[in-house]
Amino acid sequence: MAWTEVKLTDQEKRILQGEEGKVARICMEFLVEMAHIAGAERFVDLDGTGDFHTPGNNLSKNCGFTKEDLEELVAAGGHFKIPTFANKSPFPEQAPVHGWESCNVCAYRNEADRQDDPKFHEQAMHDDMMSLLRKMGMMTTHSCANYLTMTYWPSVGQHCSWFESSQIPYCNAVLGARTNFDGSFATCFLGKAPYYGMHVTENRYGTVLVKTDRLIHTDLEWDVFGYAVGCDVHCDVPVLTGTAKPTTTQYQKLNSAIHTGGGVPMYHIPGSTPEAPTVEFALGGKKPVRETLIGEKELVAAYEYLNYHQSNEVDMVYLGCPHLNIVDIMLLCRKMEGKRVKIPMWVMTAPWLYNVAKEQGYVDILAKAGVVLMSGACLAAMGAVPKGVRCVAVDTAKQANYVTGCYPEPDAKLQVCYGTTDECIDAALTGHWHGGWR
Amino acid sequence: MRKIRIKGRTEWPGIVEAEALVSPMPLQGFTNVKPELGCTTERNHPLFMIPYTGKVLVFPSIRGSGGFMMYGYGNKKPAAFIHTVASPVNVLCALNAHVPAMTDFEEDPMKYIETGDMVLVNADEGYIEITKKD
Repeated sequence: MAWTEVKLTDQEKRILQGEEGKVARICMEFLVEMAHIAGAERFVDLDGTGDFHTPGNNLSKNCGFTKEDLEELVAAGGHFKIPTFANKSPFPEQAPVHGWESCNVCAYRNEADRQDDPKFHEQAMHDDMMSLLRKMGMMTTHSCANYLTMTYWPSVGQHCSWFESSQIPYCNAVLGARTNFDGSFATCFLGKAPYYGMHVTENRYGTVLVKTDRLIHTDLEWDVFGYAVGCDVHCDVPVLTGTAKPTTTQYQKLNSAIHTGGGVPMYHIPGSTPEAPTVEFALGGKKPVRETLIGEKELVAAYEYLNYHQSNEVDMVYLGCPHLNIVDIMLLCRKMEGKRVKIPMWVMTAPWLYNVAKEQGYVDILAKAGVVLMSGACLAAMGAVPKGVRCVAVDTAKQANYVTGCYPEPDAKLQVCYGTTDECIDAALTGHWHGGWR
Repeated sequence: MRKIRIKGRTEWPGIVEAEALVSPMPLQGFTNVKPELGCTTERNHPLFMIPYTGKVLVFPSIRGSGGFMMYGYGNKKPAAFIHTVASPVNVLCALNAHVPAMTDFEEDPMKYIETGDMVLVNADEGYIEITKKD
């Protein structure tokens, strides 16, 4: 058999033999399967944090455990080995945690599954499973941008197990902690992950030197740049040069866009990210495998690809991909106060920020302007937009790239206007798209 | 009939021979795949709405979401997965699909395989064999 052999420690062998219980055995079997596939010859003991899509008891095709198994584990005092957080609202419904009463979306376009139906919402929150996970120590942050609210970050060099495309580069590049795209019940419960990829120092150095001929400094530029870099470097580790220093919002944009255009687990911005004091250091003292230019021409091409509309009539505006941080909500309130939207405008934040926004008076300001603040979900994750919406305006490459996939039929086609937050606000106030690359 | 054999690393074992469907562009999942249809639904993608069911799905790399695993869902999944670049996202897919999957080849299979070629995926012994039409 040409399968990668996995070396187990005595402790791992004992877990596999069931000496630490049924759930531990199932989790270990899953991790061994994962290591075989990944080509990892051993496991690393995690000392950082974990994060996964909940409820998450079906680990793979042949590998899961029942709710009863979990109840037994919890009764026996079982807990996650590392600080563990919940990513996004529970699957498969992915309902908004807050603001669901205004969410007139049929989940995955199933007419019977209305997100604004109290019965549907109750079931969608999977509280039976979530309460068990909370007893095991899970902090149910329910955000694709968990790093905004977890209040406990892994430190540089710590080994983690995170999930969610935009969070992988955030953990590796921005925090300097180490994760592959493998956050799961199993990794968090056992505190182990296959040792390969971003856990290994040599794999973290940059291999592609990215240059640009336009200073990347606005939110939109970072978003388009991230998408274009991802499309160019695929799964490699780029070193980004010629840019300004990104803000927190711009890091959010960059991370989500770079892992949408490509599958970039890690990048460096010399002078900004922790493993890149210099270009030479970021490249590990080696010459880059290749250099690439993401200049004006490439940025325009990416911007045009992300825009997908024949008409400039907008039916809805959606902001909050990834979930908005508190500063962006404040800035939005400043721009919306005293105004009134003409078309629906939804804004998504992290659930743990919703009450902060409320206490700050932001929920009220937005409500008076006709804007709905929600938390924990997004249009693409819910697999649909409200009925009748044929053109949605967004300010993020990730949402622009994914939301149309929910409507592949030629007669159901969904159009997307993609641009700056200000252009989206203008669309909400006028019902028209006046955006353009400037 | 010309046969080309390339050695690679096994992600999921098994042996299968089927027609290739080649994606010249990286493939993306999540909303941009519909396992119930067995098609990519990414707008403007060369494989948009072209069924991959029962094919050896050949692609350079993944892009985007861990929801790429949905290519491995249900009974309309591909017969096998062949990809040039390995990523943890491919691992998630193989965990769900449990069909032969290979990567890390001695030579890039994308250079040789065209849509319609028959491809034998022998992931038990660690090679693929491409039969080129004359």
